[in-house]
Amino acid sequence: MAQWSLEINGKTEKVVAEAATALLWVLREDLQLTGAKYGCGEGSCGACTVLVDGKAERSCLLPISSLKGRKIQTIEGLSSAEKLHPVQKAFLDEEAFQCGFCTPGMILASVALLSKTAKPGREAVRQSLNGHVCRCGSYPRILAAVELAARGAK
Amino acid sequence: MDSKQQYLRDCVERLATRREVVQVLGTGLIVIVVEPLHSWQEEDDVISAKRPVLRIEVAPDGWVVLRTGKVELGQGSRTLLTQCVAEEMGIAPAKVRLVMGDTDTCPDDGGTWASMTTPETVPAVRKAAAEAAGSTLHEPSAWKVLGQSVPAIDGRDIVTGRKKYASDWMPAGLLAAKMIRPPFYKATLESVSAPDGVRVVKDGDLLAVVANTPREAEVQATKIIAMWKPSQLTPPNFKRDSEMPVFVEGARYPAIVKRGDLATGDALAVKRLKSEYAVANIAHVPLEPRASVARWQGKKLTVESGSQAPFLVRNELKQHFGLTERQVRVRAIDPGSGYGGKQRGECELEAARIAKLAGADVRLAWSREEEFERAYFRPAGVIEVASGIDASGKIVSWDFHNFNSGASSLTPPYAIPHLYCGFHKSKSPLREGSYRSLAAVANNFARESHVDELAALAGIDPLEFRLKNLSDARLKEALERGAAKFGWKQSKGGMACNLEKDARLALFVELDVVKTQVKLKRIVCVFDCGAILNPGNLRNQVEGAIVQGMGGALFEKVQHDSERILNAKMSKYRVPRFSDVPPIEMILIDRRDVKPAGAGESPITTIAPAIANGIFASTGKRLRSLPLMG
Repeated sequence: MAQWSLEINGKTEKVVAEAATALLWVLREDLQLTGAKYGCGEGSCGACTVLVDGKAERSCLLPISSLKGRKIQTIEGLSSAEKLHPVQKAFLDEEAFQCGFCTPGMILASVALLSKTAKPGREAVRQSLNGHVCRCGSYPRILAAVELAARGAK
Repeated sequence: MDSKQQYLRDCVERLATRREVVQVLGTGLIVIVVEPLHSWQEEDDVISAKRPVLRIEVAPDGWVVLRTGKVELGQGSRTLLTQCVAEEMGIAPAKVRLVMGDTDTCPDDGGTWASMTTPETVPAVRKAAAEAAGSTLHEPSAWKVLGQSVPAIDGRDIVTGRKKYASDWMPAGLLAAKMIRPPFYKATLESVSAPDGVRVVKDGDLLAVVANTPREAEVQATKIIAMWKPSQLTPPNFKRDSEMPVFVEGARYPAIVKRGDLATGDALAVKRLKSEYAVANIAHVPLEPRASVARWQGKKLTVESGSQAPFLVRNELKQHFGLTERQVRVRAIDPGSGYGGKQRGECELEAARIAKLAGADVRLAWSREEEFERAYFRPAGVIEVASGIDASGKIVSWDFHNFNSGASSLTPPYAIPHLYCGFHKSKSPLREGSYRSLAAVANNFARESHVDELAALAGIDPLEFRLKNLSDARLKEALERGAAKFGWKQSKGGMACNLEKDARLALFVELDVVKTQVKLKRIVCVFDCGAILNPGNLRNQVEGAIVQGMGGALFEKVQHDSERILNAKMSKYRVPRFSDVPPIEMILIDRRDVKPAGAGESPITTIAPAIANGIFASTGKRLRSLPLMG
């Protein structure tokens, strides 16, 4: 066990964990950042997605030892106080969820996509999010929400 | 006031010194006015065991608390029941708070299953709310909150990640438990050895470790050496091992449906057809694997989990430990859905047993693999249909036998004069149970595939054939409107319809078949469930059910050999993804004058036969086994 210093949502967090511990468990169990969800533990569902230096990553596959000096952002750090991020707002406006368990991962993956490509076409959104499962089947609305957020983007 | 009401009134007054009882309704549901809102639970320990259950509390500042045994799974029950209270009491939805799925403080509204919230709980809540307001039920034509697309109450918490699901519930001071599972589906424990320092809990075949944190429990679990003897998983033979259908008076899904006389019907037939259909075991795969927290205080057990049926789980726990109802409390926390898969207390019972043996409060969280293997699957089954049509293309006889998969939706919507439909129980190597819409997927797949086959046999267009054989005006309207939107005469595709749980459905699909791959290009769906209570949520439910149904239709299948499940992983068990979903066009028919039917389940029942019929239309090949690409 070692102590690790992580930069999460703009704050430095110190945690004690084995080097191989996946970021997901540290977020959920040590830091009470439960917006990152456990869905499969093998990177196949996207529920645990977080942003690492702005890129969407599966936190269930990220060993904590690989995160030195990298900026981690979780769903909890996406909006400030009562101001929603435009992608969160678009998901809310389209009601692009049912149970909502996949939503934090979907939103963060969409944020990463839109920061790289301001106006992705529908097919690009579909391909980019295809590794994310919404078991309730709200896919059409999620596509609409990402498009709505993209339209809002300058 | 009768003696029961007097008794309830006395109870309320005894516990509510500063409250005023304003209404005493029948059956123990009481509406009271309280001063500041506060937790009932604080007082619970000093109240007698026969405490009445509250449905609605009204605070002087205008806040209203509604208590219901139903649970929010993503189907929208929290928002819908909030709308009911807001509508009947003439207040803003934001002024309503719901307490859901707590067996100690909520009325038992039955499990959250079978699309019963709308037909059963909605009327009960509307009535209680109207009585609390001292008014009569609002007429549907004058609805201001019901009938509107009120946004999901917890939407903001969902998009900000603040919503807490069952597996997010990790209160301080709990031990973490990890089950030690056999590497086989069914096995008996032969021996176990553990190094010093590992806290092992063992009771018969229950084997677990407990530790201070979940990560520590994971590590400790790897140090256990357990020897298991596997049981063989014999391939099923549903027909050979079946029983005769048994009619049970008053059953929700009768196992026998009879009309006329089959021999008479057969004598009227000029063409006959006999086909056999099959469906595979599939898994619910809720995105959230389940988790339970169990605590014992003397003989009082409290379990918190993402159960769809907290009252049913309470009874399971009560029976297992030999407790009274009042000694067990199950509190549901919204799950990352369930689809019928979280109705039994597998995880809850394990957590409670471990907590008792360890003498500590315990949290048990299942892995994805456990979620696949340790709950239950949608039943597999075989369905045999023998039918006959007369010279005009009318179905005159219908002999339908479902082996193993279930009795729901046995009754055809068609006006067939002579029919017998039966459900034969059988044996399966896998543990099977409820699934969204139960066997309605299997029965409607067989029925609507067979009707398509009959249309081909009669040489009649499938739409015309269905309209000719239907008498239900609403279902005919659904088919006609769907066909017009789809462009049935111009577009080649497949269709299916159903009359299920009082809802009318028609679905049309356009697709491409390339070798063994099926690519859906466009779906048109018509749905009529009577009065629409929340159009936005309904659209989401119908769309979601169609998408979920694509999985079982095209590729979902639990695979096993003689000892193990072979695909108990998200990477090996394919569920529908973005790339599988075509544009879905939808017509919702709102009938304000018709009592609303539940809608969470029935829209899953038409996609599989519509795809199978579309494959036939496109290739001439008739596929009779789900999954179609399996």
